[in-house]
Amino acid sequence: MIEKGFSKPTARVEKLKKMILDATPYVESERAVLVTESYKETEGLPPIMRRAKADEKIFNNLPVTIRDDELIVGAITKHPRSTEICPEFSFDWVEKEFDTMATRLADPFVIPKETAQELHEAFKYWPGKTTSELASSYMSQETKDCQAAGVFTVGNYFYGGVGHVCVDYGKILEKGFRGIIAEVVDAMMKMDLSDPSYIKKQQFYNALIITYNAAINFAHRYADEARRLAASETNSTRKAELLQIAANCDRVPENGARNFYEACQSFWFIQSMMQIESSGHSISPGRFDMYMYPYLAADKNISKEFAQELVDCIWIKLNDVNKTRDEISAQAFAGYAVFQNIGAGGQTEDGLDSTNDVSYMMMEACAQTKLPAPSFSIRVWQGTPDEFLYRACELARLGLGFPAMYNDEVIIPALENRGVSLEDARNYCIIGCVEPQCPHKTEGWHDAAFFNVAKVLDITIHGGKAGDKQLGPVVPDMSQWKSIDEFYDAFKKEMAYFVRHLAEADNCVDLAHAERCPLPFQSAMVDDCIKRGRSVQEGGAIYNFTGPQAFGIADSGDSVYAMDKHVFRDRDITAAQLKEAVDANFGRPVGEKTFGADPCSSTADALTEQKIYEAVRKVLGNSSNIDMADLQKMCGVKDTCAASSGSGDYENIFRLMDNTECFGNDIDEVDMVSRKIARIYCEEVQKYTNPRGGQFQAGVYPVSANVLFGKDVGALPDGRLAKQPLADGVSPRQGKDVKGPTAALNSVAKLDHFIASNGTLLNQKFLPSALAGDTGLQNFASVVRSYFDHKGMHVQFNVVDRDTLLAAQKNPDQYKDLVVRVAGYSAQFVVLAKEVQDDIISRTEQTF
Amino acid sequence: MSCQWCCNPESQKLKPVITYQKMRCIHCGKCIKACRQGAIDPNNKGLINRELCIGCGECANVCPTGALVLKGAGMTVQQVVQELRKDATTYRRSGGGITVSGGEPLVQSDFTMELLRACKEQGWHTAIETTAYADGEAVEKVLPYVDLALMDIKSMNPEVHKKYTGVSNELILKNAVRVSEITQTVIRVPTIPGVNATEEDILAISRFAKTLHNIKTIHLLPYHTYGENKYELLGRDYLMKDVKTLTPDRIQALKTVVEEQGFECIIGG
Repeated sequence: MIEKGFSKPTARVEKLKKMILDATPYVESERAVLVTESYKETEGLPPIMRRAKADEKIFNNLPVTIRDDELIVGAITKHPRSTEICPEFSFDWVEKEFDTMATRLADPFVIPKETAQELHEAFKYWPGKTTSELASSYMSQETKDCQAAGVFTVGNYFYGGVGHVCVDYGKILEKGFRGIIAEVVDAMMKMDLSDPSYIKKQQFYNALIITYNAAINFAHRYADEARRLAASETNSTRKAELLQIAANCDRVPENGARNFYEACQSFWFIQSMMQIESSGHSISPGRFDMYMYPYLAADKNISKEFAQELVDCIWIKLNDVNKTRDEISAQAFAGYAVFQNIGAGGQTEDGLDSTNDVSYMMMEACAQTKLPAPSFSIRVWQGTPDEFLYRACELARLGLGFPAMYNDEVIIPALENRGVSLEDARNYCIIGCVEPQCPHKTEGWHDAAFFNVAKVLDITIHGGKAGDKQLGPVVPDMSQWKSIDEFYDAFKKEMAYFVRHLAEADNCVDLAHAERCPLPFQSAMVDDCIKRGRSVQEGGAIYNFTGPQAFGIADSGDSVYAMDKHVFRDRDITAAQLKEAVDANFGRPVGEKTFGADPCSSTADALTEQKIYEAVRKVLGNSSNIDMADLQKMCGVKDTCAASSGSGDYENIFRLMDNTECFGNDIDEVDMVSRKIARIYCEEVQKYTNPRGGQFQAGVYPVSANVLFGKDVGALPDGRLAKQPLADGVSPRQGKDVKGPTAALNSVAKLDHFIASNGTLLNQKFLPSALAGDTGLQNFASVVRSYFDHKGMHVQFNVVDRDTLLAAQKNPDQYKDLVVRVAGYSAQFVVLAKEVQDDIISRTEQTF
Repeated sequence: MSCQWCCNPESQKLKPVITYQKMRCIHCGKCIKACRQGAIDPNNKGLINRELCIGCGECANVCPTGALVLKGAGMTVQQVVQELRKDATTYRRSGGGITVSGGEPLVQSDFTMELLRACKEQGWHTAIETTAYADGEAVEKVLPYVDLALMDIKSMNPEVHKKYTGVSNELILKNAVRVSEITQTVIRVPTIPGVNATEEDILAISRFAKTLHNIKTIHLLPYHTYGENKYELLGRDYLMKDVKTLTPDRIQALKTVVEEQGFECIIGG
């Protein structure tokens, strides 16, 4: 009786859900127009003041929109699921896509002519004033070359705001914005005027006061709008609802919340206003069950059903948030994703279990709304109640890709290793995809860059060259290596060079944000900005990191292992022969898929096989003594066994390399190579520091960049063909884990997740039938626990069968509500670009 | 003993065996050159002359497409335990363990006993899937190391049993008593249309189970065809080609018979 099932949502929630699914995403221009107007008025002011005045103008003038039937209000855009533009970070890619964004492959947005015109006018102000241009001006040419070649990209924080933060929702729920203002005034009074640092601090405090005053007004404007709508509302139920909404907005977030409904409304204002101030995504609510529960517990008047409906409404609002990116980035973050990570479970600061009623309500909300957002996660530790884990597995079994599961027993020590205190580490939340941090004390700069380890391998194979260009240090190319040690020497040299330029790129962007876009609204809610008197961007947070994430690990590990085995140990082929084969893409046309090369699965090849078979049958029917040569002539089959030593024998080399054992099958010898490769990257990264006084820390996850950046990588020694997707996160290469789920998990656990403290990501896919019934749930839960026993950091599940996904590709309109796990987030399957869809389909399905 | 519906026919020879997948074959002829027994015969529909093949695997080693694959390998108890140890955490977390299956584990009773003893030394729960078609000595030797025996009974009728499995059922029924005395036992019935899928057959088996020691559960395993294509790979005829799988209604009816005799009945095991 472990299975309990989930309840159906209310009719209201169904309506709100439909509004989201049916919405056409628009680009809107109001915010861009307002921020530009403000900047024109504040030319002489310090940057922090300019930002405060911009926030003020936006909060006072952004259109107020209350949607039909909603109980929780606060909209970033007039149309649902639409986006604003933040030209202060970058704008030219928007201009370029005015005519194409509505029809592009990944994440299309409609830009009406009038909107385009208004944006075009606004954009005229910004050349020479954006963070992206400043960042670029700091970068060396070498660093720019590395990005152009696809070794890494810092596009995320380059084109937009940083986001990736969890602010102090709890403090606002308790004290309101008035509490922030009081804190600021107090800090101002305590300034030591003989220390010249007070000059900038003063500016910062003034900025906060201006911003929070306007923020209070923003909510009041919603109260006024609700009253206005109520006045003309004929339905008495709705009228009463609107008047209640008005009362809520009068009260919060200006003041502390007095009941659960006010807490929910206050929460939502924070969440939406954070995403009005800046385009940074991954604004993560974090430990929602911890800060919301006291309000539920104290609220003696609210019914369980209404409380659940409110949480469902918050879930709907989380899906109303959207972001547009340049076309390339849209492919890397496919699926209209904004990565708002919200979590349940785990430990208190004192190390006790923190599960409560809200933890379960959150899972119920996911099951009832079944939408791509929020990115729901759970924390698991030795003391996690079985009931909680079973419920989470039951939710995972629905196939939405939630929850992602995180291991306290690895993350807490990993954070402590980075200087986070024990209490703060125990309080960790997840940001965005998979990045752990201590909430409201950290500027983590998670998601700082995508770093393509497989590309570095590719460059090493070619002696430091990318194409004809000597991009990295000169090293002997593969054909000259006499031992595997010579490979590692070369690889480490290249890695050191590229990581140095990665750090430079990130730090240039970091400086640009501090100089041009410090964020007052956000900073007041992150410790210790008010105490220190400076913004998050300028180092006001207690903990500061930069977290660039690698991908292509399994591809590199498998390639190095295969090369070591066949070239240096078994001597099946020479290094020169292997290089030639790789350069020739193993004799295949570039763009051909690696998987599906199996003659049994490809229709075209099957026909050829059939023809051959028929011909052979015919011949055998005529004669009982057959000459193989005749046979081959008859079938038109090339004599492949003759060219064994010639350099044209790419097919045999391909089969040799492709048939080598791979990461994901619990073979120590193979897995340890991937571990070594990952460590080379991680250890290099942690040598660097950022301008905010913090350390670089590596992560291993791609979002969905593994598909996109696979295109920059040529064929590899493991048999992967040129331009094909790379493995995602720490997962084995698609289709290569063939020994069952526990073997795959065991392999992944052998990587060192502790030093990849910016997060690792493992996707596992199960067929629904493998997890059916109580037994299925129990098996599922034990697999998670044993993976975590083996020190894995994170795992998430896709539970959907291949046929459903293929059907959804063919008939997207019928599968609008199909939500799947992409990487550290879920998305509507049918809005993903076909390549990302194919990548998800190709991931191995496990059964017990 | 060789049941006609066996879905693991590659285990019946007790030695590694070559499978040949026609669709993958590109007729390159490398196998012919590699074989020292002269067992590769292009005239043969299944390519391999099974009389001459010794299962050495040389042809599979050179086959570029994987059309020829050697199934089965010789392993020591230590090597097997090393593999099993990889999942030890999951056994502990899930309350699971090791199941020795087949084929027929009791046919290699020395090895099975050593393997199970090594598992018990690790603290793992052990189970065995067996027909109990073996001499009493094998049963006495192996079963003490088994926590749960999943024992097949195909038919109470000796002639039917012999027709479809090649052997009569007396030894099996005799061993069933000992097996159930030594260890916790579940009776399993592969339910095959035309062989034993009638109410009478199932009732007879259920009644027999009542005479054994402490049987609580009977599994009915409805006939499936997942093993069918293996016969082609082995160059053998599949004698159950025309047998259809059972409908859910039939399965339910047979389940009721078992339950009426006082047993828990699980379909599919």
